[in-house]
Amino acid sequence: MPENTQEGFIDQQKVLDNEEYSIKNTQSIIQKAVDWFRARSMFVLAYGTGCGAIEMPPIFTSRYDIERLGVVGVATPRQADILIVSGYCSYKTLKRVIRSYEQMNEPKYVIGLGSCTINGGMYWDSYNTIKKLDEYLPVDMYINGCMPRPEALIEGFVKLQDNIRNAKSEAGYIQYRENNAFYRANQEKIFGKNTTPTFEENFAGMNQ
Amino acid sequence: MIEFLKKHYEIVEKAPRLYKLQIESDKLVEILSSVSINSNFITLSQIACTDWIEDEVFALNYILTTKERDKNLMVEVRISRVHCSLPTLLNLYPQAQVMERDLHEMYGINFRGNDTLYDFALENWNEIPPLRREFDTLAYVNEHFDFRIGREDNKDVKAEVKRRKAQAKESKDGK
Amino acid sequence: MFLDSLAMIALAYIFGFLYYGLYRNISARVHGRFGPSLAQSFFDSIKLFLKENSTNFGWMFYAGPIIMMIGAITTLLFIPYLNGSEHLVGLSQYGNLILVLYLMVLEPLGNAMGIGSNGNPFGVMGITRGLTRLIGLELPFYIAAIGLMIANHSADIGVIMTNQSEGYNAFTHPLLFIGAFISFLGFMGKSPFDVVGAPQEVYSGPATEFSGKFFAIALSQSAIFSFAKLLLMVNLFLGGAQSLVELVAKTFVLFLVAVLVGNVYARFTTAQSVEFLVRVPTGIALVGLLFV
Ligand code: SF4
Repeated sequence: MPENTQEGFIDQQKVLDNEEYSIKNTQSIIQKAVDWFRARSMFVLAYGTGCGAIEMPPIFTSRYDIERLGVVGVATPRQADILIVSGYCSYKTLKRVIRSYEQMNEPKYVIGLGSCTINGGMYWDSYNTIKKLDEYLPVDMYINGCMPRPEALIEGFVKLQDNIRNAKSEAGYIQYRENNAFYRANQEKIFGKNTTPTFEENFAGMNQ
Repeated sequence: MIEFLKKHYEIVEKAPRLYKLQIESDKLVEILSSVSINSNFITLSQIACTDWIEDEVFALNYILTTKERDKNLMVEVRISRVHCSLPTLLNLYPQAQVMERDLHEMYGINFRGNDTLYDFALENWNEIPPLRREFDTLAYVNEHFDFRIGREDNKDVKAEVKRRKAQAKESKDGK
Repeated sequence: MFLDSLAMIALAYIFGFLYYGLYRNISARVHGRFGPSLAQSFFDSIKLFLKENSTNFGWMFYAGPIIMMIGAITTLLFIPYLNGSEHLVGLSQYGNLILVLYLMVLEPLGNAMGIGSNGNPFGVMGITRGLTRLIGLELPFYIAAIGLMIANHSADIGVIMTNQSEGYNAFTHPLLFIGAFISFLGFMGKSPFDVVGAPQEVYSGPATEFSGKFFAIALSQSAIFSFAKLLLMVNLFLGGAQSLVELVAKTFVLFLVAVLVGNVYARFTTAQSVEFLVRVPTGIALVGLLFV
């Protein structure tokens, strides 16, 4: 399969969408119940980084009513399960996004909203915005479009719930923990020395 | 009010209710304070900067607005691109602090007397200021980022759009 | 007695969460939405229990929610569920109304202790607001309680409850009831008295730093505590209940009024709410006290 072409990309996508090829983790009954509860109740920290943020508030309104899926907004990363990064991230914003993400408690998931988080979108030649969010944070669900309609966001939530419930993919936070060096290296590449504290530094602070 | 200013300075009327005044950079503070005292152009609404790389100058337009918000006065200062430095207007207009900080970050212009010229929107920026025209954005982006596969179809679609429009028109005319 | 107490706690937990689910559902209907499922709050709390806890602010911080929980449970145990029944009485024969009123303050105090040690500015702001509001809330409620104690020559909740067989206190002492009811609306923490966790002003207020299991404990305690407050109101003013069905009906009516009021009124500021509470319900309750 030619990988680095448009056709190759589409082929890969087809493979991912195919039921046969999708990862099916075996869940014990307890794990199943736990995952069911996690999928059923999602607290969202909506970080409005870019213009796509304007499509987030409508999903809580009477017309779209995301609360019926068990999704509610919270005001602090401590209680949140899901971080929505809505749109382009400049370096300055990205640093804050990473800080918020690291303050969240596991299990935690990231939704990348809009083309800008996927490949830079219309800011692909900007000197100050990142092009691929998943180099810096593990993204569990991308929603494309510029900007995506609230319906698309809701579909993203439903798919994410499905993924969590059936353990279809490895959750991002596990990848972040296990491949932390990769993410750290990418973050340090653009932040230099002023990156957020590492896990070790965090724990050193805790013991004092 | 504008008559008074016209008496003392060479003011050009660029458009209805838009006036322009070109001055030397060493008289900036002096003239702006006299304008703000003697006329009702009392608000500094923005500082616009243009990079004339061919003439080796930055043209800074201080845009002043009247109290009634009905007339604008552009005060243009031209400074060299190499040793770009200007006196700050903090004492006249407090809002100039943010604007000057922004200009310093985007063009590297030094405002003497403004001591808040540290990082603003660009954190940890080590290159030349990005809005100077010698800064090559595309080269910078290509050097610093790798793109996701699938970006290659980013082709010029103008010809295709033209062709389709013509086609649609033809089919319409045919009917 | 142990099983009895356990049953009381379990019932309060279930009803508290069901009522909270109902609250979300009813407000959704008021907004023209469908709202979440009735058990959504259960799901939320179970999920929170399953989350990890990654913050550490010292033991005082963790003691906060636990003290709140103890406050809620002890308050509940001293309030009998049913009128003249031998079951679901908990410790109520050993305590009285004064003790219950005293224990009700334990919750905000435990909250303050937890918040004080994490140093989050929003939490501190929230708890300061809460304690300020508490002054306003306590006054009319205490006055109404004193009125009832004088009228019944007893501070025993059971006695007050059984003495209402001729007519509910809500009708025989209407002014006391109105004063206590407005204060009760405030105790339920819904608008117009929700200055503590006002999301537009202090984010999550006192709960800002709580996460995972401790947030779940805080949620459960608030569910138990709201049921205890509903129970107390029913016992004091609506004649208690002969059976669980009656109890549910009465608490539900009270709860519905609180929810609807909360959905209609906008939020008072802290100063406004204290001023309102000190003026209107306290005044009404004082006049009611004169009639006793
Ligand atoms: S994808 Fe479009 S709407 Fe979203 S942030 Fe980027 S430019 Fe804005």
